[in-house]
Amino acid sequence: MKLTPFLLVLPAVGYIVAFSFFPTVDAVYLSFQDPHGGLSLHNYQELTYFNIGGAVLDTVLVTVGALLIQLALGFLVASVLSREFFGKKALSTITIIPMGVATVVAAITFSFIFQTSGGYANTIIHSLFGTNVNWYQTSLSSLIVVMLADSWKNTPIVSLILLAGMSSIPRELYYSAAIDGAGPFRRFVHITLPNLRSFIGVALILRGVQEFNIFALPLILIGDHPPLLTTLVYNLYTTTFPEVGLALAAATVLLGFILVFMGVVIKLTGGRST
Amino acid sequence: MKWSYIGAIVVGAYFLFPLYVLFLLAFNSPTFTILARYPALLPISLTLNNLVVSLQGSAFIDPLIKSLETATLVGVITLILAVPAGYGLSRLPRTVAYPILVLLLVTNMMPAIVIGIPIAVEFIKLHLFESVVGLALAQTLITLPLATFILQGTFSSIPQDLENQARVDGAGLLRRLFSILLPIAAPGIAAAFLISWMFSWDEFTYAILLIPFHSTLPVTIYSDVTRGNLLAGVAFSLVFTLPVIVLTFALQKYLRGEYLAGGIKG
Repeated sequence: MKLTPFLLVLPAVGYIVAFSFFPTVDAVYLSFQDPHGGLSLHNYQELTYFNIGGAVLDTVLVTVGALLIQLALGFLVASVLSREFFGKKALSTITIIPMGVATVVAAITFSFIFQTSGGYANTIIHSLFGTNVNWYQTSLSSLIVVMLADSWKNTPIVSLILLAGMSSIPRELYYSAAIDGAGPFRRFVHITLPNLRSFIGVALILRGVQEFNIFALPLILIGDHPPLLTTLVYNLYTTTFPEVGLALAAATVLLGFILVFMGVVIKLTGGRST
Repeated sequence: MKWSYIGAIVVGAYFLFPLYVLFLLAFNSPTFTILARYPALLPISLTLNNLVVSLQGSAFIDPLIKSLETATLVGVITLILAVPAGYGLSRLPRTVAYPILVLLLVTNMMPAIVIGIPIAVEFIKLHLFESVVGLALAQTLITLPLATFILQGTFSSIPQDLENQARVDGAGLLRRLFSILLPIAAPGIAAAFLISWMFSWDEFTYAILLIPFHSTLPVTIYSDVTRGNLLAGVAFSLVFTLPVIVLTFALQKYLRGEYLAGGIKG
């Protein structure tokens, strides 16, 4: 083996390792430091006063909810786009537009659609039913607004991945299943889903990790009512700066969840098959 | 067939409605948008006044310039590191190249908010806090793995024979790089640059942690909106979105599922 390719790869790998692994390790280490410089669980005990449990629960809720919505919509988009019809090209262009809209812009647009009183969604509801919905009544409904906004922005990437998977399934499978009397639902469950296993896995990993990290959307849409792990980290960081121990303890909790999630998904979808 | 159309209309409406709302917010007169309890769903009083008022002066220009500087710098730094890395990986045996790519992509998944805080603390000591260079260095962490991956694919598709031929004819590495490899790889390199540029243009987490005060456009839009300066936030949003939508269409070829999934499929 020649040495030159290695030397060419080295700067990029070095850069990533130096600026990404070291700060991460540093963050975890600092999170265990108490104000006197010793190592302890001090910051983590402190975190319980900031409802860390609620933040964890809400983060998991948003992650699972948003992933379900995105998979469902992704399947809808992909199955529409896997057929031939007039205007297909136009539709496939429309479905990637949200990828080009910045997260911040998506968040602001959705904040005008869903407002505590009034807003564009309420204009429709008001003209139909004469009532007004407060979208931020409960923490669950606030989280659902976040999930919807996030799904608008991120369904395109999921549907692109699923579409790639669907086009790799031989058409003959569907024809013979249809001849044997399988309806659309059974064809979906018995042919589409099993064949898309690794593609769904890829989509879940790509989106799931980003979902745990979801930050700008909840920050703009709901602030910290209720807080997610990322917005909690950010709030602790801005309120306690230059003391960062508390924020980093919350960040370490987030990191732990992401690593566990990656492990679970890789295990479930069979890492070796992908 | 019928179901295709119903599905297509539902999907189309879902994806277009928020954009339509953004359009209304930007061009309808404020009395029918942000000042109304039930904002109008139709473009009843179109005006350019919102944009004209908001986009005047340094409130818009300064963050715009910061965003442009940062995004371009990110693109350049990313290419400097990713072009050699992509080429190197394409010339390494798969058994070596694959783990390195996975390592890069896994790091890509590390949360910015975790990495960002220790970096912010370091940057304050190094006087890189509130600086475009510091932000660009941090954002490169996100773009570099992706760009390396794209370029590895690009260079892999160039036949090794072509390069060997040039080597036999006595061309050194640099000569081969500049007169054979780079010209052929130009589309891939351009895509890597533009995708990096787009990521930086969009990036919020590192920006708010590393340049909280006189920041790039996303953070400025955020602070405008939280301070109640809604019209400016909306106008900036529109101007901010247009180039990215154009780029997304230009890069449509590269935003393919096979490609996005390929990173993990190998």
